[in-house]
Amino acid sequence: MAVLDMGVAAHPKPINHEARTAWGLAAPALALMFLILLVPVIIAGVLSFTNYSLGNSGFDWVGTQNYERLFTRSTYEKMFIATFIYVVTVVPISVGLGLGAALLVHSLGRISDIYKTIYFLPVMATLLAMAIAWEFMLHPTIGMVNRTLAMACGSWFDVIPFFANGCNDGFPLWLGDRDYAIWVVCFIGVWQGFGFNMVLFLSGLTSVHRELYHAAEMDGARSGWDRFWLVTWPALGPTTVFVVTISCIRAFQVFDTIEAFWPQGGGPNKSVYVMMFAIFEKGVQQNLIGMGSAITVLFLIFVMFLTLIQRWLVERKVHYG
Amino acid sequence: MKLSTSAMVLVLSASAVWAEDTVTIEFAYPYSHLFDVTYEAMMPAFKEAHPNIEVKFRATYESYEDATNTVLREAVAGNLPDVTMQGLNRQAPLIDKGIAQSLDPFIAAEADFEKDGYHEAMLSLSTFDDTVYGLPFSISLPVGYYNMDILRAGGIKELPKTWDEVISACKTMKANGIDNPIFWGWNVTGNWFVQALLWSQDSAIVDGGRVTLDSAETLVALEQMQEIFTECEMQNLEWKSALSSFSAGDIGMMFWSTSALGSVERSQGDFELVTGPFPGLDGKPKGLPAGGNAAMLTSTSDDPKVREAAWTWLKYITSGDGAAEVAKTTGYMPPNKAANEIILADFYEQNPNKQTAVDQLPLLRDWLAYPGDNGLAITQVIYDSIERIVTGDATDMKELQQEMVEEVADLLPNG
Repeated sequence: MAVLDMGVAAHPKPINHEARTAWGLAAPALALMFLILLVPVIIAGVLSFTNYSLGNSGFDWVGTQNYERLFTRSTYEKMFIATFIYVVTVVPISVGLGLGAALLVHSLGRISDIYKTIYFLPVMATLLAMAIAWEFMLHPTIGMVNRTLAMACGSWFDVIPFFANGCNDGFPLWLGDRDYAIWVVCFIGVWQGFGFNMVLFLSGLTSVHRELYHAAEMDGARSGWDRFWLVTWPALGPTTVFVVTISCIRAFQVFDTIEAFWPQGGGPNKSVYVMMFAIFEKGVQQNLIGMGSAITVLFLIFVMFLTLIQRWLVERKVHYG
Repeated sequence: MKLSTSAMVLVLSASAVWAEDTVTIEFAYPYSHLFDVTYEAMMPAFKEAHPNIEVKFRATYESYEDATNTVLREAVAGNLPDVTMQGLNRQAPLIDKGIAQSLDPFIAAEADFEKDGYHEAMLSLSTFDDTVYGLPFSISLPVGYYNMDILRAGGIKELPKTWDEVISACKTMKANGIDNPIFWGWNVTGNWFVQALLWSQDSAIVDGGRVTLDSAETLVALEQMQEIFTECEMQNLEWKSALSSFSAGDIGMMFWSTSALGSVERSQGDFELVTGPFPGLDGKPKGLPAGGNAAMLTSTSDDPKVREAAWTWLKYITSGDGAAEVAKTTGYMPPNKAANEIILADFYEQNPNKQTAVDQLPLLRDWLAYPGDNGLAITQVIYDSIERIVTGDATDMKELQQEMVEEVADLLPNG
């Protein structure tokens, strides 16, 4: 006891006091963080082991039954496939297009602002509202898309099998066709997302030092491609890691378009039944809170995994600036 | 100064009296595209008759599924409306959970209840365990919508009476260059059309608390759907697109609820629209499920004035002029006898398209609810299965039936 007292006394008192004040000052923020951010996640985790249904007074523990169903039922297999296709399609294309657009816009002079505004428009517009506009355009018989395609009938376009079939048997249903539905949603995802990536890349480009280009030129990098490969691309490293991670998380979170197009069912044959929609359908539409929580937990694990990869890449110092 | 003060006091006391006399009740209903016009038409007369009741409309429910779900959530959050309109097949879960309240005390206090047009058959749609929990507001039955211009161009002279006749009509129309002969409303809410094919064979989808998806009748229904979808080469249209395509004059025959008649007529293009009775498997259907919704009392208020006002509103919309507006603005039928026989006496003669469903009334059967907490999920499983027939993903109906039975068994209380 005495030894312990001695030890405490040996430390200079003010530091202890300061630390306590620091904890005291941080406590409200920490408590709020715990309450608002962590508690809901913990509750979702706990509920994922139950069969709780909204409106019931109690629930039963069902162990890992929800997770077992998640990995054995064909519905959820479709969910994983749809989510995977969407992420794998939308992320590379929207990042690639964003980078391309950023490089082109960056090389422009005064009119670049106009391009920036135009490319950024779909990002600013609410995806839900845009989805409704797309729904009208993609209507199989009276929609703009198929009407426009039909105008090409009878011209040399008929050589292309797609037009030949379309003119004979009608153009695709788009939203009602299980072969097209997921690609339509991917297209809208790219259309909506690449402007955001462009802006991120643009800000990355402004921070690349001019001198680096001059130095590269002196070292013999004559063509634009050489300069891009030698200077721009490595300098954009940190931006790219950030853009890819953000695009991945956004792609995992896709929901608005699907809810607007197929409020019931998640697309023809569940071909567009992405995770976020599955959470909504189970947890909100059907009140199966247990199942909804299980998908949520899995979703969080995916996103956490992505974030960890990003951290790992950043710590490997992907920056040359 | 004195004058203005006394004026203020006067205003204040007046508004106090006003506040005391006006009772506000909250109300929510589904399907705004069908019913907005109905409630708009009702409100002026209601306000005149009951100036001290203010009805506050909440955001509309997208569908009956959404209606059930919203109310369940509101019950947990303690934020229930006073009166809610619920699909006839979604009343049971709200009663099980004690959210919907018995109307028997109010009915007992009414002197002329029967004279107001409420009768046994109507109330039976909302009677559970001998207790009345709702007043049915609108009733629908499935019917055929025919674009006579397309039918004539396709060489069809008589309206089909059985599904075989429908299929042969499809083929004739296709041969005569009609691209889009049919839309069959498999995707209507609550597996209604599946239940229609089952009731057509006089078979109930839920019998004595058991879901009878493993029955021979279900297989017949599935095979019949497959035959219609594949032989007519029906497109997989989302139902809203299908309704707009039909209204635009692009589809020859549409099988759907009579409820949409009002909205189809309002947006109808330049063609002759005729409705016909719902075809049967062989001969006339033996029964058809009653679609529609009922008004339920979900008020959590202890104030007798609020409860009385809620009952007044419930009664107003389901009887007399209120109920008559249902028939006038939509394709639904008000189940109220007095409204039908007195106010709407010559209405159906002038609107023969709305008469079709009335003629089918003797076939009226219950739109059944699936037992347990997972009713909404079961609806979705059946929906998904039928969709697989439409998209051509499922070809073996026996196999599909088996998968459906297994998936539904997972969701049943004892499963």
